[in-house]
Amino acid sequence: MGIAPDITNAQPLRVITEDTCLFHYLVPAPMSPSAKSMCSETGSQDSGDGNSRTLHWDPDPSTLQLHSDSDLLGRGLRLGMAKVTQVDFPPKQSVSYSKETQTPTCTQTHTQAKPAEEEEEEEMAEPKPAEESQEEKADEEEKQEEVAPKDLTEEEKMQLLHSEEFMAFFDRGSRIVERALSERVDVCFDYSGRDLEDKEGEMQAGAKMSLNRAFSDERWSKNRVVTCLDWSPQYPELLVASYNNNEDAPHEPDGVALVWNMKFKKTTPEYTFHCQSAVMSAAFARFHPNLVVGGTYSGQIVLWDNRSNKRTPVQRTPLSASAHTHPVYCVNVVGTQNAHNLISISTDGKMCSWSLDMLSQPQDSLELVFKQSKAVAVTSMAFPLGDVNNFVVGSEDGSVYTACRHGSKAGISDVFEGHHGPVTGLSCHSAGGPVDFSHLFISASFDWTVKLWTTKSTRPLYSFEDSCDYVYDVMWSPTHPALFACVDGSGRLDLWNLNNDTEVPSASVCVNGSPALNRVRWAHSGREIATGDSDGQVLVYDVGEQICVPKADEWTRLVHTLVEINENRDEGEELAAQRLVA
Amino acid sequence: MQFEETLKRIQTHKGVIGTIVVNAEGKTTLDNSTTVQYAGLLHQLTMKARSTVRDIDPQNDLTFLRIRSKKHEIMVAPDKEYLLIVIQNPSE
Repeated sequence: MGIAPDITNAQPLRVITEDTCLFHYLVPAPMSPSAKSMCSETGSQDSGDGNSRTLHWDPDPSTLQLHSDSDLLGRGLRLGMAKVTQVDFPPKQSVSYSKETQTPTCTQTHTQAKPAEEEEEEEMAEPKPAEESQEEKADEEEKQEEVAPKDLTEEEKMQLLHSEEFMAFFDRGSRIVERALSERVDVCFDYSGRDLEDKEGEMQAGAKMSLNRAFSDERWSKNRVVTCLDWSPQYPELLVASYNNNEDAPHEPDGVALVWNMKFKKTTPEYTFHCQSAVMSAAFARFHPNLVVGGTYSGQIVLWDNRSNKRTPVQRTPLSASAHTHPVYCVNVVGTQNAHNLISISTDGKMCSWSLDMLSQPQDSLELVFKQSKAVAVTSMAFPLGDVNNFVVGSEDGSVYTACRHGSKAGISDVFEGHHGPVTGLSCHSAGGPVDFSHLFISASFDWTVKLWTTKSTRPLYSFEDSCDYVYDVMWSPTHPALFACVDGSGRLDLWNLNNDTEVPSASVCVNGSPALNRVRWAHSGREIATGDSDGQVLVYDVGEQICVPKADEWTRLVHTLVEINENRDEGEELAAQRLVA
Repeated sequence: MQFEETLKRIQTHKGVIGTIVVNAEGKTTLDNSTTVQYAGLLHQLTMKARSTVRDIDPQNDLTFLRIRSKKHEIMVAPDKEYLLIVIQNPSE
């Protein structure tokens, strides 16, 4: 609020200074410049005329009021100094995203990208019709530039290949890719088997038995026959195969035993052992993981040790009358960790038991004679599960005998006649379960049949007559009570399941080239079968789960099957007896 | 030389049907039309995969891309500028 001057009492201004003061105020310009000029001209102390117009000065500098023209104009304009408050408005923020799509569309030179570009061009052209022609031209030029380097020339290629970045990239990329390539894990495997339903035929055939590995060695196994197989009890992936002599190579050792490894993909044997005489039987020493026992054609029993660096045996039995003088076809380690013996039987009927520490002399020997005179020419031997005293032997004359090692009746006890040819293989039932079937055993023979026996009866329970050639070996499955495998001279590997069918094998596979299969051995897991053939090859087959894994009721079903078999046998015999009588 | 050796080793690996080396623009070292198709399609897919990975976490980057289909397995090893593509038949 300004100080209202008292106009009536105002006194005329007296200019003190000589300077001209120009005051620019938002007031109407003084009507007559005479007041100002008067002030400036006179410069005297006398203001001069009594001007009607007077400038009232407020001596207080903070407020200034000019009342020029107030009388003249009569408007009563009041000017006031206003307090200025600073207000600062920030500029309006425009929200913008700095992210762009990272798929550059303009760098695509692929043919498929071209139509996309053309579409873009068209879109761009629409809103700006005026610049259409120019844009098209520009884009065409771009296109031409991109099309031109599409095919790399040889020089460019070589240049690229040798550039540093490329080599670094390729080094890294190829390393990763090679690792990924070697991983064969099938992450999409469907255990429910729904996948398998799609590929019916192939998979089902393969689900029964499929070839897993084939082991053979150019130098050591070619031209030799596989005479024996055994799986290691300690390391389920190790398999020993013994071979007889190589007629084409008289300077090579006659007897060879090779230890093969299933775990790794290498095609050479883990260990190579040889000796001077053809090895007819071989086995891993059950309580000595480093020892491999071999029975040879000369009657010697040899022991190889994989701890030594030698390929020749570390221990040998003497070639004397106290030991064997005939080929040893059967070797086996029986007993327990603390009390075990190596049992060997040769074809002259002599059975010796040895201690693995000392092979210079047998601990015990026994002549297997039948009815006090007839020596038994033993070709195969088997011990029932858990038994160390009683065992069965098969002989060249086609009979099977039970015998005991110790006791008052040591020697041959019973004879089981039924085969018409030499017995080639014997196997005692070994699948432990709720029901004990250890009285059962099967035998294979040159008469094309496999016969099922029980120790309780001297007549065969059943005869499996599906083969058309010599049956060379047979073995019960270690896990499935009703399953056994047999091999014959026509290259066939058959799996029989007594609970399914006793007339025909449940699964059968024929080996490529149909060599005579000499030996068959189930792995301890019951999932794989190894066979050795006459060409020196060892083949390992995977057995399909549906076949080799026993269900819980297999044992009881087998009981029923056996009862049926028994009944059939009795009926058959009755009929035969009736016919004889009639 | 090393490149050729390594490439040959990969090509003769069990089950491998084909290998392609692609540069940033989608060009290949072979003119076969199938190869060109593979190269272009996989290049686009790899770029998309890389941008996806980067969008989720800008510090991250794509290191390996593996496409398993009923019949084949396609492996892509990407780089800043190049792609190594290997097609394998996994059932062999």
